[in-house]
Parts: sequence; structure tokens; C-alpha cells
Amino acid sequence: MVRVIARLLPGPSLMFAAGLIAKGYAEVGDGFAAGVIVALAVALAYVALGAAGAEAALPALRHAPKAAVGGLLLALASGFFPLLLGDPPVTHRPGPGEHVTTIGTLELFTPLLFDLGVFLLVIGVLTVLLHHLARSREEAAR
Amino acid sequence: MAVDRGGTRPTADRPGWSACVIAVAGFALCLFAGGAGFSLPWAPSLDLRLAFALDGLAVLYGLLATGVGALVFAYGTRYLTLHLEHQRRPAVERWRFWPWMTLFAVSMVGLATAQDLVLVFVFFDLTAVCSYFLIGFDRAEREARRSALMALLVTVVAAVAMLVAAVLLHAEHGTFAIPELLDRAEPSTTTTLAAALLAVAALAKSAQVPLHFWLPKAMAAPTPVSAYLHSAAMVAAGVLVLGRVHPLLARSEAVLTGLVVVGAASVVVGGVLALRRDVLKQVLAYSTISQYGYMVMLYGIGGAAANGAAAFYVLAHGIAKSALFMTAGAVTMATGEDRLSRLGGLGRRVPVLAVAAGAASATLAALPLTVGFFKDELLFAAAVERGPVTVVLAVVAATLTFAYIGRFWIGLFLGPARGSVGAASTLLVAPVVVLAAVAVLGGVVVEPFARLAEDAATVSAGEPVTMSPGYHLDARPENLMAVAAWALGGLLLVLPRLTDGLSRAFAAAGERFGPRRAYDGTLRALDRVSAAVHDREVRDLRGSIAAVLVPAGLLIGVAFVATPTAGAYMVGIVEGADWVILPLLALVVVATVVTARARVRLVVALALAVVGFALAALYALVGAPDVALVAVVVETMLTLVFVAALSRLPREDPDRFVPGDPVRRRRDVFAALLAGLAAFVALWGFLSQPAADSVSDEHLRLTPSAHGGDVVTVIVADFRGLDTLVEITVLLVAVVGVATLVRRGRLW
Amino acid sequence: MILAFAVAAAVLFGSGAYLLLKQDLIRMVAGIILISQSGVVTIIAASLSRGRAAIDVAPGERVSDPLPQALALTALVIGLATVALLLALVHRAIVVFRTAEQDELAATEAEHEAGLERRRQADREEIESDPDGERAP
Repeated sequence: MVRVIARLLPGPSLMFAAGLIAKGYAEVGDGFAAGVIVALAVALAYVALGAAGAEAALPALRHAPKAAVGGLLLALASGFFPLLLGDPPVTHRPGPGEHVTTIGTLELFTPLLFDLGVFLLVIGVLTVLLHHLARSREEAAR
Repeated sequence: MAVDRGGTRPTADRPGWSACVIAVAGFALCLFAGGAGFSLPWAPSLDLRLAFALDGLAVLYGLLATGVGALVFAYGTRYLTLHLEHQRRPAVERWRFWPWMTLFAVSMVGLATAQDLVLVFVFFDLTAVCSYFLIGFDRAEREARRSALMALLVTVVAAVAMLVAAVLLHAEHGTFAIPELLDRAEPSTTTTLAAALLAVAALAKSAQVPLHFWLPKAMAAPTPVSAYLHSAAMVAAGVLVLGRVHPLLARSEAVLTGLVVVGAASVVVGGVLALRRDVLKQVLAYSTISQYGYMVMLYGIGGAAANGAAAFYVLAHGIAKSALFMTAGAVTMATGEDRLSRLGGLGRRVPVLAVAAGAASATLAALPLTVGFFKDELLFAAAVERGPVTVVLAVVAATLTFAYIGRFWIGLFLGPARGSVGAASTLLVAPVVVLAAVAVLGGVVVEPFARLAEDAATVSAGEPVTMSPGYHLDARPENLMAVAAWALGGLLLVLPRLTDGLSRAFAAAGERFGPRRAYDGTLRALDRVSAAVHDREVRDLRGSIAAVLVPAGLLIGVAFVATPTAGAYMVGIVEGADWVILPLLALVVVATVVTARARVRLVVALALAVVGFALAALYALVGAPDVALVAVVVETMLTLVFVAALSRLPREDPDRFVPGDPVRRRRDVFAALLAGLAAFVALWGFLSQPAADSVSDEHLRLTPSAHGGDVVTVIVADFRGLDTLVEITVLLVAVVGVATLVRRGRLW
Repeated sequence: MILAFAVAAAVLFGSGAYLLLKQDLIRMVAGIILISQSGVVTIIAASLSRGRAAIDVAPGERVSDPLPQALALTALVIGLATVALLLALVHRAIVVFRTAEQDELAATEAEHEAGLERRRQADREEIESDPDGERAP
């Protein structure tokens, strides 16, 4: 039972995380919390299936380092891009008073990129962390 | 062994020639771009500017640094190749030499042109850093390392005085720009203090008594470095700074008098010690101390004539001294000997070098038909203007110079032949010949040199300076003084016994009471302190934690005793949801105590989790849902990670936990109680005094214009977004650290 | 309430300090966690102007202070990263030294220290020896 849930949980957790990010600015929650929630689903998989099993069941996990670095770059880029336009860092667009396109509660503006970056980074970092803790155990056991 | 093996042609020294080309380009720049300058903002909030100008003083020192530099670098291409060959070191070690040498020249030009006191400080220290690596180039030799460190410490520590002076002046006049400072400074205590501090920094750099001892040591450097350092770069930098800020120094009679005293002392000490040294480069090193003593003395005399004389002196001395050092290097390379007592009669075997070195020596000894004659003429003129004391000092100085440099040249090139001579490489002789030619040319056509010195002196004197050095065949005081100096110097040369005892006594006294001992003692004391701190601090982790916590606790305690407590503590009121919060807090307290007392590690982990979740629930109740959400997920993750880490520890031995040392246990409890109590008093006081208005009012007001609803999220992603960027970077760095520790750096 | 929060934070801090003084490296990590929790509680308690959460605030409404909350968020995240790193460090120490006990680590370090002491002695000789380059001829 736990194993089945562990295999399936990352899907819904991603949905939930997407919801957190989408509501981000209007309601509780941000990229960080969303990232940790997905990482918790991954953690369950590690606990239930073991490191080798989890990584076999969820092959996408091996992209975790890329997600971490990519997320950081995305967040840094969205933070420092305004420098090129002559604004202070972390100046978001559209600026105050300008119109923001929205899809439902999802607002399309640069903080969203920033949040996405944080989200990816947190998933990546925590997955790598879990991987190391689990792997070093298995390697030691061998 | 140390004979130039002409047969093996080593590969061309490309980096060396590049440095040479750069120096030549700089020379051309200084020659043709006089008067140019620019000023860019550097750190506007600190009032710093990158201000450079090629004024008269800058042109003089710039030409010296690049001109002598170009020749020394050309000489160095050959010298360094041989040097590395003799020491059986790979030719690639050039790359540890030439970049520093180039930077040395660049920072010297930068120092000459800088018009901002902080900028001057930066270049001043940059030359020291370069000299450190260059003096310590033979890093396998302990002496070289020691000397490099000594040069660095003495000059850099003294340079701090310059920074202090800069800050003082800025506080008083609101600018670091030197021209404005010179304008605004009035005679006052601050001005005197700042001038004295500047002078200290400059004097240490110019190796003046009592901070002279590093210079003779610095001869551990390869000869091109010595030649450059003594004539145009490091040591000249001190006098350059004196010239740059001279109008400021002139505001204080005391500082000027101090300069005269220090200069005179250096002239005598350096000169007397140079009289009896045996190692070639040491004779020249003590001579440098003495020669810069002249210049310091001239700046101390002050006024138009003395400033002009000082500028001219720098030029003449730079030319002569670099030539003499290169002579010493060439001789050592050709014979393998570096002591006067083992050399002699080289004149017949290397006649070109002998003649060129003779011209350079004559320049230093101020013989007619060399540019050096005029340097002494101007010195004497300035001394006469000042009074009888300086007249005597000037004659003594010139006498000593004549005597020691005469001994140097005669010892090397005349007398019975000693030492075997290999072929002297052309490239080791040619630069000496060029410099000697320049010196003799200056003795015939002095006009261009005089113009350079005039322009430089105009800057340092703060008024137009005109000077007209020339040969006068009459009985004016300058000529009489010169003749007296030659006669006395000749006497010393013929009767060395006259000075033997004096020089020995000086050396012995220096050995016993000299500042070298103070330096060594300071270094030893510092070493002991460092070792003691190291022993206390590093050996035991508990000890080092105590070293931080105990003083911190004491400080906090002192602060509390000193603070009035009336009305400082509030109990607060309990209302509404607080009745739920109180039990949660109680749960936190209980779980915390359990954590502290648990005997099994797993209990520690679980109790920690209880603490964390109780706190998360509490955050939700105090209107912090964002924190609550993050706290829940982080706490879950943390518990998981903690348990996972526990599972790979060696199994705990339950018997072990009963500690054998009750004293230690009681001490721990006591320390913890004390820490808790101090934290309680501090935190209670802190929480009792909420700030009246917070920056968050502004955040609340601005949130809608950031298109957001949740103020906390907007703060994290927008208002304080830079914090968040740093924070997530820390996350990634931490995980890289984990990967390094656990799996040797593999991220996956 | 102020007093209650102060007591809780102080207990957290004191227990953390106690654990820091322990022999066991894992307990030291736990102590650090407790101390950082104490910090977060203090930050949150500093914003005890409790109204509702600061979301879609109408002008003049009483809400909890959002800035300390943002700071607390940062503190929590950094705390997680630090603890992960500390645990990895402990793990490494155990792999290398085969113990999680301070005293045994200290013993190993003392050996190392003896080696350092020899090197330092050599350095000292380097400073004290005085080859002045030449003796008077």
C-alpha cells in the first residue's frame, strides 16, 4: 500500500505545488513551500522503495542536480536582469500601476519566474540531499 | 660554477621582453603626455575618485620608473635566465617574476600620477606587495623568505599610518583629493598629526633610520629587483609621497625639523655602515639609505631651492644607483663572487663595464662632467640657504659618499687581479653603459634634467621653482664645499683606518640596540601569542565554544547590570487564542527538556520533531500562515534527514551515556542554566519593547502596487528579493558541501 | 504572553546550550537546531501585534507584522541547509575517525597537534636564526 502511494504521490504533489505557486502572491504559499512539498513526496518514495527502487521508479529524479542549478540560475537571472535595463536588482515587471495579465489567479509577471526558480532549486537540492543520504548508506552496506 | 656558459643559448625570455616593451611604452607616454589626466568616480558614497594626472612630479617619477625600468628589464631578461640556470630551476619560473615586475612598474607610475590620497595608499601598498614576491623570488632560500616578509611588514605596517592620515584629513576637510587638501589645510594640530603620519609611512618606505633595516636585507632579491627597488621603485616611492604632500608637511615646522633629523641620521648611519661592508650589494644598500637621507633632509629644509634639489637628486641618484647595482650583478654573474674582499683588478678584464661603472660611481660621488655634480651643487646651495648646521651635514654626507663609492669602484676594478672571470654577457653590460652615457650627457647638457626637476619641484613646493645648475669656476660656497668633500673623502679612502673603528662600532651598536632587534622581538612575541591562542582556541572544540559563549555571556551580563530596568519588562496580557498558544508553548518547553535529557539519539530526533511541529502550529495561531506552512514542511524534512543520518551512525552503546565525570556534568548543567537565564533576561527585555512603527507599514502599503495580496510572499520575492537570492544560493552551496563530505563531490 | 514567549525561547536556548556542551556530535547538532528554533520563536514573538494574517490587507486593519515573518522564513530555510551540512560533517567525521565522541576526536587531534607543534618549532627557528649576510671582514 505504502509503496503504491509512494509511486503515485509525486504526481498529485506536483499538482498541489503548481497550485501553491499559482496562488502565490494572493494567498499563502510560495515556491519554497511548493518545492519542499514535492520533495517530501520524493522522500516518501525513498523511504518506501529504497534509493535504488525510488530512482528506478522515478527516473526523472536523476535530473535533480540540473534542476537545482537551473533553478538557481533562473532565479538569479530574473533577479539581476533588471540591472541590464538600468534598474536596481530584483525590480519586477510589470511595474507598479501597470496592467498584469492573469489566467485565473495566475498572474503573469516576473516574480513568477523567480518563484519557479526557487521551486526548481528546492526540489533539486532536497532530492540530491536525500539521494546522498540514501546512497551512502547503501554503498556502506555493500 | 657561476660562470656564464655562453654556449647554451636558452630560449628567449618572452615575458621579460614584453615587460620591457611595456616599460618603453610607459616611458613614451610619460614623455609626451605630460599634463594629461582624468578623474573617474570610484566609490562616490565614500568620496573616492580614480584621479590621475601627469603633473611635473608624476612625469619625473614616471620617467624614472619606466626608463630605468626598461633598462633593468632588458638586463633582467638575461640575468634571470642565468640565475634560474645556476639554481637549476625551470625557465617557466619566469612567470613568477615578470608579472610582478611589470605590476611593480605599473603601480609605481600609478603612485606617481595618483591625485587621491586613498589611491596613493593603494598603489603604495601595491608596490610593497610586488616587492614581497620579488624579494622572495628565491623561495627555496630561507633568507629570501625572511627578507621578503620583513620588507612587507615594515613598509605595510607603516603605510597604515598613511591611511590614518587620509581619514583624519578627510574628517577635517571632507575630501581625499590631494590638490584640494593642500589648498585647504591650515596649520593646526590635525594637520601636524596627519603630516607626521604621512611622513612616517614615507620614511619607512624610503628605508630611513630607524626603519632602515629591511633594505639591506632586501638584497636577497635577484639583482634586477634590487636595482629597480633601490633606484626607481620601492624606495623612491617614499620620497615621492614626501614630494606629493610636501605643501602639507610644510605647514608644520615640527614635521620639517623631524625630516631633517631623520634624514641626517640616515645619511650618517647609512654612509658610515657602507664604508666597511664587504658584500657588493650591501655597500650599495647602505648607500641607498644614506642617499635617500639626503633627499629627506632636503625636503625637511623645504623651500623652492631644496625642493628643486630633492627632485634633481632623485633623478641623478636613480640613474647612478641602478647602474651600480647592475654592475654588481654583472660582476657576480661573471665571477661567481659577491664580496669586495675576493674581487679586484677587474678593470683590465672587463674594461667597458669598468668605465661605465666608473661614470656611475662618479655620478654618485658628484664629480664634474657627470649629472651627479649638479645634484651636490644644488644640495650645497640649499644647505647654505638654511644655515651652518646643514652645511656641515651636507659636507659630511658628500664626504662619506665619495669615500664608500670610491672604495667600491677601486676595490672592484683596480688592484691585483682576483677571482676568475668568465665572459660578461653583452646584455648585462649594455644597460649599465646606457645609464652611464645618460649620466655623462647630463653632466654636459644639464638643461633637460633641470627642467624636469623644476616642474616636479613646482608641484612639491607649491610655487614656481627655477634653478640653473652649471659649472662656475669661482670660490662660491658650493664649490668650496664640494672641494672639501672630495678632499676629506679622498683622505678617508687613503686612510681606511680612520673609519674602520667607527664603522665597526656602528655595526655592533646596531646589532645590539638596533631596531632589527625590536622587529625580531615583536615578531617572536606575536608568534608566541598566536601559538598560545591557537593552543587555547583550537585544541578542544568545547574550549573554543566556551571561548565564544562565556565572554558573550559576560558582556550581556554587564550590559544588563548597567541598564536601568524600571518599566523594561512587561508580562503581557492573555486573551482569546492565547489560551491555545499557552499549552503549545508548554509542549515546546517539555519537548525541549526531553531533547536535552534524552539518553537515546532517536528520542532526541523525535523530541526535536515535536518541538518543531508545536512551533509550526503556534505560528499558524499568531497570524503567520506562511511561516507555519514552511515550518511544517521543513520540520518534516528535517526529521527525515536527521533520522536518516542517525541510521548510519555506529550503534550507540547505552552504557556509555552514563558519564563518568560528575564534575563535568554539573558544570555543563550550570553553564546551560546560566545561558538560559541570560537568554531569558535578554529576550524578555527585547520582547517587552516593541518598536512603535515598523518598516512593514510601508510594505503593507506598497503590496498592492506589487500586484500581490500576501504581504509576506511579496516581501520575500520582491521587497527583500535580494535576501532570498542569497538564501537560495546558500541552499545550493550547502548541498554541494554535503556532496563533498559524503560522496567526494559527486552531485549525483 | 510576552513572558510566556520569553520563557519558551529561553528554555530552547538553554537546552540548546546544554546539548552543545555534550560529548556526542549528534547532540551538538540537535543543540544548534534548538538554538535556531529559539531565534525563530523570538523573531515571530517580536511581531506580537497579532491581528489576522497579512493577506489582502484593507487600510487601517490590524494584521500581524509581515516583516518578521519574512525573516523567519529565511531563517527556517537557512536552518535546514545548515543542519544538512552539519549532519554531513558529523557523518564524515564518523567515517574518518570511527567515533562520534568529542574526547576521542580530541585525542586524534592532539596527535595531529603534536605534528603541528614540530612544524611550528621549525618556523620559530627560522625567525630566530640570524644569518646577517656577512660578518665584518
